[in-house]
Amino acid sequence: MNLAVNTPLALAGLLLALLPLFNNGIRTSPAPWTALIPADTLSVVIVGCLRLCAVAAIAGLVLGIAGLHRTEQSRERIGHGAHIVLLLDRSSSMDNTFAGRTANGSDESKATAARRLLTDFVKQRQTDLIGVAEYSTSPLFVMPLTENKNAVQAAIAATATPALGFTHVSKGLGMAISFFEQQPVTGSRIVLLVSDGAAAIDHDSEQKLRLWFKQQQVRLYWIFLRTANSPGIFDQPEDSRDDNAGAMPERYLHKFFLGLGSPYQAYEAESPDALQQAIADINQLENLPMHYVERVPKQDLSAVCYSVAAFLLLVLLGAKFCEVKR
Amino acid sequence: MTETLFYRLPWQSSSVYPGAHPGQMIGAGQLFKRHEPLIASPDPRRIDLRASVLDPFSGYRVRVYQQQSSVNVYLLADMSASMGYADKQQTLIRFLLTAANSAFGYGDKFGFIGCTDRIEHRWLLPAGQHLGRVSALAKQLEHLSFTGNANGLQNAAAFLPAERSLVFLLSDCHFPLPQLRAILGSLQGHDVIPLVLWNQYEYAALPNWGLISFQDMENNATRTLFMRPALRQKIMTAYRQRQHDLKNTFRAFGSEPLFITEGYSTQTINRHLQQRAA
Repeated sequence: MNLAVNTPLALAGLLLALLPLFNNGIRTSPAPWTALIPADTLSVVIVGCLRLCAVAAIAGLVLGIAGLHRTEQSRERIGHGAHIVLLLDRSSSMDNTFAGRTANGSDESKATAARRLLTDFVKQRQTDLIGVAEYSTSPLFVMPLTENKNAVQAAIAATATPALGFTHVSKGLGMAISFFEQQPVTGSRIVLLVSDGAAAIDHDSEQKLRLWFKQQQVRLYWIFLRTANSPGIFDQPEDSRDDNAGAMPERYLHKFFLGLGSPYQAYEAESPDALQQAIADINQLENLPMHYVERVPKQDLSAVCYSVAAFLLLVLLGAKFCEVKR
Repeated sequence: MTETLFYRLPWQSSSVYPGAHPGQMIGAGQLFKRHEPLIASPDPRRIDLRASVLDPFSGYRVRVYQQQSSVNVYLLADMSASMGYADKQQTLIRFLLTAANSAFGYGDKFGFIGCTDRIEHRWLLPAGQHLGRVSALAKQLEHLSFTGNANGLQNAAAFLPAERSLVFLLSDCHFPLPQLRAILGSLQGHDVIPLVLWNQYEYAALPNWGLISFQDMENNATRTLFMRPALRQKIMTAYRQRQHDLKNTFRAFGSEPLFITEGYSTQTINRHLQQRAA
């Protein structure tokens, strides 16, 4: 309970709350000798309560004016889950269907399917910290690791905008891994790469990625949305002349990931159902206990103050109507 | 103001002046008192031959008669703030005029002692027979708003004459009983007729339900009450108990109080005075 106010100067008005202690606000009738009136405990209690009501009502109004609020707080929690960075491919081919055509009413595009299934995925993973990064020509920073699921949903929904040109996977991975910097190592750390294609990674980037994957202890899941009749991850080249990174980037990227030394799992999804299966697998696998800090945002309490004061004022108004004047 | 208080004395006035009440003086009267030697009472018209013949010393015996004497009537009034409640002030003024009229009608002298927290000279009227001064005082009282307490009553005896007088004590007795005992103790030498002025409105006409805040007229302390039938009953019981205590206290000092609660009427006071003389 860390309470704070917006305008501390207004708290000077709390002095006014002492007024009811000096004057109970009830019109007095003259009496010749009050000592003759027998002591009455109930009256004393009721008058005391009314005084307290008045004090509290004034205090409530003043606190409301001062803008009482509870400051942002963090709460330590232990749950099952993971730190997940969704790394989404934003290349223009994602806007095509799994059949390789432009999306129309009957077939949804790969991006739409991914969006829909990832949204469900996020919904199921309530205790995870999830971040979102995208890449196409260059990496796009979308949403840092957060427990705010609404923000993540919104970030995923934002991929509905038309996609960009190329596929620059190494920079995207670099950015995804950078999300884990300055995060405590609890639970598992996952980069969920959703893409429909791959690109060759140059030597320098390879070195860096190897290092980073080791440093940050990141597990990698690659969901490859394979378009019909395009080369897959696990395809062997028919001609040995095609066996190079330029001709079969998917195969070579897969090889590179296998050689990273960190846990890696690849899924090849050729339809929305297969994609769903892949996501369900990940959902089952990654449920390690983790320790994380939940942040509770600042809470404005002035409305509560005003409503309490209004209620007390109603009580006092009722008492005023009960008043007898002689 | 034609009403008259018919007060009679159950004791003999020591006043020298002739008046309307039984006195200790002998003189022109109707009631035979005793025989005296002619030398002590040289009035040959009153020689009692039978008594003179029977006198072993052969002296002349003269019949002497009790003289009707006057008496000093005082109104000792409580002028504390509580006496300003409701119609108590009007009652005080009305009683002042009635008592003065009656006293003058009997040929007695009438004096007034008004007491607040002390005794002020402007509220003192020495015993006399001037109706004008009484009316002037009543007029002054009409425009006065009473303040303070009734502590002055304890010193009132100092302003009363040494001989026994008839003292009307007009007060609401809203002060502690020890104070009342002190007052009555200091007035032992006089014939005190206590008139306790209460107003039904202050205790019987309370509402059954509601919040009511009373402010004491004398010390300004406030008491807020949550009225309900049980509390109303309690207050009325407290007033009845108070009345009982006051009666006991007054009786301990040999005077029967008259509680005036349902409006002032001279008839009520007259009835009380007649019961007293009987």
